[in-house]
Amino acid sequence: MPFKEKGGKLYSVQLDPKEIPGIEALGVTNVTSMADIPEPIDYALVAVPRQVSPFVLKDLIANGANGAGFFTSGFAETGEELGIKLQAQLVEMAKGANFNLVGPNCMGLYLPKAGVRFNADAPVSDDGRVGFLSQSGTHGIMFSLVAGANGIGVSRCASIGNAVVLDVSDYIDYLMQDDETEVIGMYVEGVRDGRRFFETLREACKRKPVIVWKGGQTEAGSRATMSHTGSLAAPSAIWEGMMRQCGAITTQNLDETIDTMKALLSAKKPRGNGMALLAQTGGQSVSITDAFARAGWDVPAFTDDTYAQLGEFFNIIGGSFKNPLDMAGTVQGKTETLDKILSIIEADPNIDGMAMELSAMFAARQWKANPATLDSTLDILKAHMTASEKPFVAILHPAHEMEYIGSILHKFHERGIPVFQSFERAASALRRVSDYWASR
Amino acid sequence: MTFEAVLAQARAEGRTLLNEVEAKQLLRDAGVPVTNTTLATSRAEAQAQAEAAGYPVVLKVVSPDIAHKSDAGGVKLNLKSQDEVGAAYDAILESCLKHVPGAKITGVAVQHMAPQGTEVIVGMTTDPQFGPVMMFGLGGIMVEVLKDVSFRLVPLEEKDATQMIDEIKGRPILAGVRGQPAADIGALKTAILKVAEFVEKHPEVKELDLNPVFAYPDGAIAVDARIVVAEA
Repeated sequence: MPFKEKGGKLYSVQLDPKEIPGIEALGVTNVTSMADIPEPIDYALVAVPRQVSPFVLKDLIANGANGAGFFTSGFAETGEELGIKLQAQLVEMAKGANFNLVGPNCMGLYLPKAGVRFNADAPVSDDGRVGFLSQSGTHGIMFSLVAGANGIGVSRCASIGNAVVLDVSDYIDYLMQDDETEVIGMYVEGVRDGRRFFETLREACKRKPVIVWKGGQTEAGSRATMSHTGSLAAPSAIWEGMMRQCGAITTQNLDETIDTMKALLSAKKPRGNGMALLAQTGGQSVSITDAFARAGWDVPAFTDDTYAQLGEFFNIIGGSFKNPLDMAGTVQGKTETLDKILSIIEADPNIDGMAMELSAMFAARQWKANPATLDSTLDILKAHMTASEKPFVAILHPAHEMEYIGSILHKFHERGIPVFQSFERAASALRRVSDYWASR
Repeated sequence: MTFEAVLAQARAEGRTLLNEVEAKQLLRDAGVPVTNTTLATSRAEAQAQAEAAGYPVVLKVVSPDIAHKSDAGGVKLNLKSQDEVGAAYDAILESCLKHVPGAKITGVAVQHMAPQGTEVIVGMTTDPQFGPVMMFGLGGIMVEVLKDVSFRLVPLEEKDATQMIDEIKGRPILAGVRGQPAADIGALKTAILKVAEFVEKHPEVKELDLNPVFAYPDGAIAVDARIVVAEA
């Protein structure tokens, strides 16, 4: 249990000590009343029948507890009179006692450094740099898992549920002041105090990059948010205007959110719009170019000097180095040739960044046969990224090797090489990040 | 008249819509470029005001009971002499009373007819969640059909006004296309920022439309203005 391994003290509060079988065997002390906990509680997770929740809150306040996530649901979101009344009671009690109530109707907090998780599969790390808040429990959990799978460490993550005591703006306010959080991300469907949200977000965006994934951006989608969180739809054009005004980065789904964070954390700031595109084959050199051009990137010609240097060794039979590059026939798995190409292009003044395709079709066969070639290739990429002031992104489409590619991605993440599953995802993530830095 | 005085008068008359003359006077005082517009309550007054404004002039009915002025025959454009102004004044009253029997006619607004420029709109609406929101777009078909408009929440910084203008799809039109001159972007920015300041200063204003604003190579001017205030 990571929480205990990290030195945390855990109590189980159950009226019936046999409610959770085996809990004592895990070394968790069970008490039958909160009053039996001999010290102030840092954080409680409350999962009780809704009618009981006000009594639990009363005990927490009496204990001097710092805060609690209320997993318990069945409040105003049901539209029932009892639920609405119970929620109002929680709000009154919590606000009166200045108590940090997360939720209700939520997963609570994911604090990897403390070993507190809302899903047993979520990673535990001490050096997470991304803070996330989610109005949806599922998106909160999914984010914590998918971020982990993409090598993105989470500093703190909150599933905020009905957000009736602590609202979206409170969490943003916290994360913007949190030194361990370098990038803030959020999934929101709506906000209660629009003016405060606007002012808080604008302030947060001045301090660090903020990525906002808004649910319900279509008319049909906004009807869905109405029944999910009861959020009032803001006209999307007004929302978009507000996002630009604040300087937030907007995304439309989890993948875009993750991709943007990856580019923000792992790629250098682009200083211009000229991309060098390195593909393995002819067809892919066209596809990568279309994808980057559609995302607003220029694919300029290299300087004469670059062409002269490449011309000395580049195999133009079945290959090309005009930009884009079609280079598998030249590299032929030789890492020193790759190294040479990267060095020449990196030095080209027309080039502001590099995107390189790694082909599952060719590379996977070689890497599987000789795993050391994968490591040496990645080491070369890493060395170039470290030495260069220009952003570098890798694209590795899993193709028919989904399982194998999945098994080696950690090698990219460990080296901090931003790798994307399609040209389009790489191009648009880098676009968002580039636009963000350009607007600063 | 001060904003407070205009507001008090509108409320005393049970109106939330300020008339064109009131709206333009307040905006002009706030530094928003609008065509100078005066209220005439007689034929002779209209003629005298037309002389002062300079021909050609436009006459528009001012009535709390007439929302669609053109449909009621309440607008006469491009009037070039005292005689034309006099005849137009009579025609407006006759037509409006025929279309809306018993309508209260406050008078007729007289203004110099500004030369055609590139049409844009500058507006403000109140969002139930986010409060006052500024809007900018190209006039006519671009806003009505294509909804090519941009929004920012009040208060605005200068960069917000710049971005509002730059992010509409029809932006190249303002740079001048097909022999049309470029619009004075600086003047449009000023108009947006002055309107934003005005609505920030007067939270009673719930809706505001400058439609159209004529943008010229040198300057811009609002030729129609509409302000809705909150109920008392």
